Amino acid sequence: MSGGRTGPAAISVDRLTKRYGVHAAVDGISFEVARGEVVGFLGPNGAGKSTTLRILAGFLGATSGRCFVDGHDVAEDPYAARRATGYMPEAVPLYGEMRVREYLRFRAELKGVARGKRVEHVGRAMELARVVEVADTLIEHLSKGFKQRVGLADALVARPPLLILDEPTAGMDPNQIREVRALIKELGEEHTVFLSTHILSEVEASCSRVLVIAKGRLVGEGAPGELASRVRRAPHLVAILNGARKAWKPIVDALPRARLLAEKVLDGDIDRLEIELAEHDEEGAPLDHGQLVETFAEELVNAQVGIRELSIASPSLEELFASLTQEPAQAKPREHGGDA
Amino acid sequence: MRGFWPVFKRELFAYFVTPLAYVLILAFVLWQGLHFYLLVRSFAGQAEASIDQGPVQAFFGSDVFYYMSLILICPAITMRLFAEERRSGTIEPLLTAPVSTSAVVLAKFGAALVVYAAMWAPTLLYLVIMRRGGEIDWRVASVSYLGVLGIGAQYLAIGAMMSAISRSQIVAFVLSSILILGFFLLGLGEFVLDEGIGRQVCSYVSVWSQMGELSHGVVDSRRLVFDGTLVALPLFVTVRTIDSWRWG
Repeated sequence: MSGGRTGPAAISVDRLTKRYGVHAAVDGISFEVARGEVVGFLGPNGAGKSTTLRILAGFLGATSGRCFVDGHDVAEDPYAARRATGYMPEAVPLYGEMRVREYLRFRAELKGVARGKRVEHVGRAMELARVVEVADTLIEHLSKGFKQRVGLADALVARPPLLILDEPTAGMDPNQIREVRALIKELGEEHTVFLSTHILSEVEASCSRVLVIAKGRLVGEGAPGELASRVRRAPHLVAILNGARKAWKPIVDALPRARLLAEKVLDGDIDRLEIELAEHDEEGAPLDHGQLVETFAEELVNAQVGIRELSIASPSLEELFASLTQEPAQAKPREHGGDA
Repeated sequence: MRGFWPVFKRELFAYFVTPLAYVLILAFVLWQGLHFYLLVRSFAGQAEASIDQGPVQAFFGSDVFYYMSLILICPAITMRLFAEERRSGTIEPLLTAPVSTSAVVLAKFGAALVVYAAMWAPTLLYLVIMRRGGEIDWRVASVSYLGVLGIGAQYLAIGAMMSAISRSQIVAFVLSSILILGFFLLGLGEFVLDEGIGRQVCSYVSVWSQMGELSHGVVDSRRLVFDGTLVALPLFVTVRTIDSWRWG
């Protein structure tokens, strides 16, 4: 099926299914990753992310469906497919009794890096993954974050066109996470990167495209921003006001097509309001939320209500995620309700 | 044989940077030292030595010392081969590298065989010591060592298979010891059973008579075929077992 294509996709997955007994960990998913893309594979724990990545990396066999990596069928031409892939497994298992440099040399040799190029390849991978300072340390003495980076260096060492990273920042501290995200962006210039994560800010930070998986099925796909705009939930206006309720309530009520979702007394006369704003006015024209806030603030000032804070919260990827992954479960009862 | 050398080298490295190989070699050398000491005492007490029951024959398998060490040491060498990789998860990066399963299995088996050979190396000294007291037929000695290697290879192959089948090193150790002991006892049937098919089978699988023949310089091609089969079959099962993990 990839035969007719000129310049194969980095990853091409066609109706991939993996069953364990009756349970389908991955249930007929199809997608493609083009060369040079940095794609995030997003889903809650147990959604089938790792299983999919393991099949792509050649560690597990699929129950049905086909996977191509760099144009090579993972099942039929495993060596070529694995040679094109740098894979970092989830828990980053390493040989603790080896030193970092020794380990990476072993991996380079195992992956068929020519003898004369090994030193250079290992050096480059250590520099990129920032493990040069621990090059001669025993792996078992490294912290979790460093082990993670050694795993990353291992994925890089043979300079494969495709990197498959399973939760690359798991177990790192915030500084290390920032570094690794920057590194992934940098790697995206030379490699195609396919990374899985259950942390949503991760894909926003490093990926150009997101695939969302839940219960073994793909439930969404698109650019991180594009996906966010698909969330049906409208933006919220958050306001912290200092003033009597009767002073600000009419102003809030006067906001066009807005709805007061929550109000909470913080301290005395200080309230925190959460107001849902509509995307469009009655005629269907998009509402200018900036203008709306401006008018809102002006009227509050005129009514002598103190403004402590005023902000518009766009729907985060977290909310997108919740809405996408809960949809199938919620949609069904509603349909039944409608029928009855 | 993609990936044979790097895995072979790493495996040997892993044996010798961890205490395992040293502990095993030490235990083995102590055991064989005791064996040799008892032999020397026993032969020193004999007025006349028979021509075909000399110390070389005694050392290579005409008493139970020789076998007991193999039944326990071989599984101890092989128990970690695959069980440990599965427990720690390192099997995943290993099998997602462009390597063939048979290369991985042969490399690990080869490394175990080298450790086993290293374990026997100090016993060459006994031959040197024996030579001071009399003549040694070096052809008989080398054929005996060949037997040592052949039987070791069988036991290590069985151990490698059990290490692939079980997830824990201890279970691998116990299962392979039991299996090897079973084979050994089956061979002893040769001395127990009456004439008949049962006895023939037992005699065919008997390592005791194999070592007896070899330590007298007799090489039987049927034994070699049997040895080869007992090495190849468990290794084949090991390769299939590892391939089956992909479908688990």
